[in-house]
Amino acid sequence: MSKKIFIIVGDNLGLSHKQIDYDALEIVKFPVFVDGVEYRQSEEHNAKWLISKYEKEKVVAKSSTLIHNEIAEIIERNHANYDVFIHVVMSSGLSAASFRVAENVRKQFENIVPVINVDTRQSINGVGSVLLGIIDLIKTHPDLSVEELAAACQQIVENTFSWFVFPDLNYLYKGGRIGKAQSLMGSVLHIIPVVGMMGNEKDGLILAMGKGRTFRQVNDLIIEQIRAKMQEKSVNRIKRAITLSGYGDKNQDAYAALLEKIKTLPVDDVVEGEGGLVDAVYCGPGAYGVSILL
Amino acid sequence: MNTTDTNLVETTEVSFNVESINEIIENIHRYLNKHKEYINSLNVFPVPDGDTGLNMVLTIQGAIVQMKNNGRTEKNSGEYLKDFAEQMLLNSRGCSGVILSLFAQGFTQITANNDFSKENIYRAIENGYRNAYEGTENPREGTMLTIMRALKEKYAQLMEKEENPLVIIQQTIPYLKEVLDQTPEMLPVLKKAGVVDSGGAGFIILLEGIDKELSQLAVNGISLSSLLRIGRTTRKLLRKRLSELRKSPFAPLILNIDFSRIQNSRLVETLQSARNLLGNIHLNHNNGKTLNREKLIDELQEIDDSWNPEIKNKYCTEFVLESDVITSKDQLKEKIAHYGDSLIIINSNNKYKVHIHTNKPNDLFDDVSKFGSLLFTKVDDMKKQHRNFLSEDVLDYERDKSVFCIVSGKGFADILKNLGADDILCYGKNKPSVNQLVKGLNNLKAKNIIAASDDSDILMALKYAASLCKSNVYIVESDNPISLVSMLMNISKDYDINTIFDEAMNSIHNIPFCGIARSSRNVTTENGAPVNKNDYFTVYKKKIILANKNLDELLFDTVRQLSTEGSLITLYKGADMKKENSFIERLRSKFPDRDFEEYFGGQYKYSYYITFE
Repeated sequence: MSKKIFIIVGDNLGLSHKQIDYDALEIVKFPVFVDGVEYRQSEEHNAKWLISKYEKEKVVAKSSTLIHNEIAEIIERNHANYDVFIHVVMSSGLSAASFRVAENVRKQFENIVPVINVDTRQSINGVGSVLLGIIDLIKTHPDLSVEELAAACQQIVENTFSWFVFPDLNYLYKGGRIGKAQSLMGSVLHIIPVVGMMGNEKDGLILAMGKGRTFRQVNDLIIEQIRAKMQEKSVNRIKRAITLSGYGDKNQDAYAALLEKIKTLPVDDVVEGEGGLVDAVYCGPGAYGVSILL
Repeated sequence: MNTTDTNLVETTEVSFNVESINEIIENIHRYLNKHKEYINSLNVFPVPDGDTGLNMVLTIQGAIVQMKNNGRTEKNSGEYLKDFAEQMLLNSRGCSGVILSLFAQGFTQITANNDFSKENIYRAIENGYRNAYEGTENPREGTMLTIMRALKEKYAQLMEKEENPLVIIQQTIPYLKEVLDQTPEMLPVLKKAGVVDSGGAGFIILLEGIDKELSQLAVNGISLSSLLRIGRTTRKLLRKRLSELRKSPFAPLILNIDFSRIQNSRLVETLQSARNLLGNIHLNHNNGKTLNREKLIDELQEIDDSWNPEIKNKYCTEFVLESDVITSKDQLKEKIAHYGDSLIIINSNNKYKVHIHTNKPNDLFDDVSKFGSLLFTKVDDMKKQHRNFLSEDVLDYERDKSVFCIVSGKGFADILKNLGADDILCYGKNKPSVNQLVKGLNNLKAKNIIAASDDSDILMALKYAASLCKSNVYIVESDNPISLVSMLMNISKDYDINTIFDEAMNSIHNIPFCGIARSSRNVTTENGAPVNKNDYFTVYKKKIILANKNLDELLFDTVRQLSTEGSLITLYKGADMKKENSFIERLRSKFPDRDFEEYFGGQYKYSYYITFE
């Protein structure tokens, strides 16, 4: 018998609501503080707005975790109509607090409705990749038990890989999320760093994937590493690629070139994602990237 | 020259005199030093700071200094010269320094018996040539090796008629000069550059120095034969002294063990000899001595076991074979399995990556090269690795892997450090010696080291340093600082050492670049256009493509000609360019569709390196 499943996800997923073909879904907005004032993603306050403030006003921005009661309220409101809740959470390696909040909510409802917290080991469009993978799963395998569902979600996590071109790693550094990518900072030479989040890495940290001196070099490096990952996983096709851009006007040509290269790969579905307010805090101007699900 | 005054020998030379030998060597060194600029000028590219002569001089100089600092244990001049040659090798710089040292090492291995007869000198020359030849990767005609071989051949011819080895060497010199003049015909790059081989020229100058110095001695009343017999007389005296110990229980040990043979490769044999000798003592002496003997034998066995526990095949050997003849891993396995053990073969299309432990890596390489092309070879001495493992020094290893770069320019040193090199040896104008390289490698305290230099002339010294280093050293055969930048841009230390090494080797040619230098003599460009002394010229893919008196104009022409190679053009300024002297703005205005960056490289040979990415 097919289950009725409700999905909760934060808005740092690199996709807009309309790009997600699933009704039982609620996207929770992260609080973002710009020079101490709280904002949430909106028509007016979006990634482009923050990037412009970064460039013109040199503002200081940071984000906060999702709020326990906001998530609990969603479950409270919907649990009578659904059999299972899946909360797709950004990597616990980047924000242990966010995952802790999700776990506390799960415990609160453990005698009422099952809640599966999926630690995506991802951020931004990597979270989006895992989310769309789970939606595919629910649609194709509606009869899975809760345990089977949790195990299948974990498989999706381990097959999701992201690469990000962050021209200025200082935004990531200031946000405390630099992880192993710190080795790419502070070069005398002007370099363009490529960082990544690999679903088969348990730590869920941001990794240094490489560096280049031109965007052509870093795009080639990403494509080469995607091919290597396909070989490593023995797969011939990519189920989905979600690209990411929208952090101001910088590097749009480089992003477009990457998108073209992605399309030359054996990929079933290419989704052009877009950055949101909360991820703009860490990405900075001109960032772009791609996440794949194998 | 007096060559047969044996009475003089008997009466004047009764002891081994280090000071007199040092004096001879120092005078020969001075002679070479006097001619080093000429040797330096014989570079294929007319860049200033050519350093073949300098490297030969510094190699000998390093050995002189080191021998003075070391305590003397040699018994005669033959042994002293052998130790001197070993110090030359340790202090060798550049290819010319290493090849010269290898010759000296091979030569003095033969004369270590203190026999300086013409026949033994011939054997020494032959062995010196063989040692230099075998120690040189890709030995080519038209180099110092050709002159060494010519020396061997001419000496053999002349010794039929002449007794005095020095006279024979003296008589070879005109012939060697003739051969040197032919080197441009043997090596096209020399012909193109209009020069003879600098290493070969240096070697002949060294022989002239030896001739002049020893002739001078003869004129001053000390005959050559006297000089050459110093060691022999000394040995006789030592034997006499030692024979006084013949009643001592340790006489067999003292008289029979050849301590000079106690080197790593002979250790097992030597220990066996020692055990046999101790066994002989047991036959001759009482029970009280036997107890000590048993203890000694046990200790020797323990050392032997720890030295060589289970390693039957000494060399951990790897290679990549590209073959259309071999069609499967099993086929290749069948052909090479008998060479050793621990065989692993991985293949992709027609490429086979092989790992095997063997005692005959060279035979193996010869054998497999019949089936295709060897794309990569690596041989590690496992006994050396095992010794390192046993050594307490291993406990000091602080990291699993490190990257070590050797560069001339300070600016490049900073850039490479920032890009992830763990340590840099910045050698400035003078190439580093083997000793300096060993120190640099050991200072890293890393189990595995990726080592790369900015000059191919350092490769031989680096390889020799690697063989003396405690770590496992993987040498990236780079020959310019841009390769090192490219390498560090592409490697990730998160991977295992073999993957890092593969990445490093694959990445060193990724960035197209050219060098701009000032000509030290008149030459021509690839197209035959003249390049006058002091003109600036551009070298691209090892060819002189442009030249101009005016640096601004040459830079513009170079960028115009090569800018199709990439949209980001980076200038690395050399040590001779003032920091404030910047062309970047002018280049930006002239080529608005290109991005330009400028950094201080601090290199000595080239005023600019320019990369196109």
